[in-house]
Amino acid sequence: MSEPSTLLSLREEALAVRRKFLRMHFEAHAGHLGTGLSDIDILVYLHKVWLAPGDQFILSKGHGASSLYATLHHFGRLSDADFATYYKDGTLLPAHPAPGALEAIPAATGSLGHGLPIAAGLAYAHKYIHQTKRRVACLVSDGECNSGSLWEAALFAGHHRLDNLTVIVDANGLQGFGRTKDVLDLEPLADKWRAFRFRCEEADGHDFSRLHEALQRPPDGAPTCVVARTVKGKGVALMENKLEWHYLPMSQEQYTRALEDLAEAESRLKQQKQS
Amino acid sequence: MRVDFVKAIEGVLAADPRSMFVTGDLGYSALEGVAATYGRRFLNAGVAEQNMVGVAAGLALAGMRPWVYSIAPFATYRCLEQIRNDVCLHRLPVRIAGNGGGYTYGIMGATHHALEDLAVLRALPNMRLFFPCSNDHVAGAVSQMAALDGPAYIRLAISPYTTPVAPLSEQPVTLTRQYAARRDATAPGVTIVGVGHGVQIALRALASGGLAEANVDVFGVARFPWDFAADAALLQSVAATRNVVSVEEHYADGGIGESLRAALPEARAFRILAASYSPEQRYGSPAFHLQQCGLTPEALVAAVRESLR
Repeated sequence: MSEPSTLLSLREEALAVRRKFLRMHFEAHAGHLGTGLSDIDILVYLHKVWLAPGDQFILSKGHGASSLYATLHHFGRLSDADFATYYKDGTLLPAHPAPGALEAIPAATGSLGHGLPIAAGLAYAHKYIHQTKRRVACLVSDGECNSGSLWEAALFAGHHRLDNLTVIVDANGLQGFGRTKDVLDLEPLADKWRAFRFRCEEADGHDFSRLHEALQRPPDGAPTCVVARTVKGKGVALMENKLEWHYLPMSQEQYTRALEDLAEAESRLKQQKQS
Repeated sequence: MRVDFVKAIEGVLAADPRSMFVTGDLGYSALEGVAATYGRRFLNAGVAEQNMVGVAAGLALAGMRPWVYSIAPFATYRCLEQIRNDVCLHRLPVRIAGNGGGYTYGIMGATHHALEDLAVLRALPNMRLFFPCSNDHVAGAVSQMAALDGPAYIRLAISPYTTPVAPLSEQPVTLTRQYAARRDATAPGVTIVGVGHGVQIALRALASGGLAEANVDVFGVARFPWDFAADAALLQSVAATRNVVSVEEHYADGGIGESLRAALPEARAFRILAASYSPEQRYGSPAFHLQQCGLTPEALVAAVRESLR
């Protein structure tokens, strides 16, 4: 994983998923772009490297569903036919994941604060009832860390020593109607998770080698949390760190500019590969 | 009903290794045996009901069949969205047990009463409700719930009017009990429907002779949604009397009586005796609360007389 070639290929895959993600949003005229661009690198890392057969992933920040659909489609876990229906009448892919619709998405989410309790229940059953090595990863948003049920689940996971549970906070610093530090300041966020008996590290959520370092931890009786510092809208300059891209769909001109940003990143990546 | 419930649950836990018992920190001097016997299949989730229900959904997604237990308001309203999203929308076999339906918790006060639990839960998709009429009605409900592949709720309660009247019959599918039958099939009569432990008010009225003059069928219903194909006796009674009085320790709005009235348009008259608080509400024993809102054998007798007038 530390080999530069693996890192470069992860970055290539993430660019491909971003391109797919932008196209589906442009065609559907759908919002929630910022949140997806913020978590795509995490999703690509999890699906390409971290998740072993039998492991489960819960997207607790359900508003990131489209980035998960794009990732699953990229890795062949979502059919072309299903993927083509995104956001359309009759789809199984609404803006927030639907219950029991896709094997790769065990639980419907969208109301924040629900995914971590479910993930903790899965982890408890795998570890103590079925006594398997199956692991559960759960991606939460930083705004979601406002909710009490998330901390109830954190308390539960720490108490029950669920070392098969990994939480990743997509900490992009923006939530529905403001900056997290202005709405309900979460800091020191990593210390909060530590106080709930998680092993918690912070990492640049767009740096695959740092994500890998933080997420490869042998089980030692404590659940894992990685506070992934991310940029909302990452990879598309006009969207980066802008609250409005939680909501807005793209115009044709914005879509063109976004694709130019991705093309530029791709050519930089090619140069790095050659050198 | 709590003792009967725990006894029935012990049977379920012993019979089905997929079953689990999750409590919201309740069960003192009731669940110690379960806790000691079932190890990791017993789980005290603490005073954290939203997480408790979410965890139960996760357990169910991992192939388990958890029971979730707390005082009725905490097991329902506090975690309503978790019940709706995580359990009901996913059709998971999570069974919720609410102890203290109606005014059972009496002097503990309004926060501990459950007067709208059936109303809020009956609106949820895929949810099935069970509200036993008496202690010896609990095992049958638990056994049906254990066999379900989807969500269910059981309302455990104690009536201060508990009267040991053996039912004439029990419908095996719906668990509906008939406690009294009209003397005269041709004379004007009334169908009394007691909802869950609310039927005890009617049984006390029967036992005290208050209904001796009246020509009444008395049913105790214990399950929702309705299954009138199975509950033919109830249907026939209403078709004959066209006159129903229902009684429940629950608000009228959204209650089971309201739903029955909607389902039985052939009833010409339909009176609902139900729970309420008054603007000058005072607190006391369950019997005190029932007196305050007119849920008494005497009030039922009066309602039956009036409906025959």
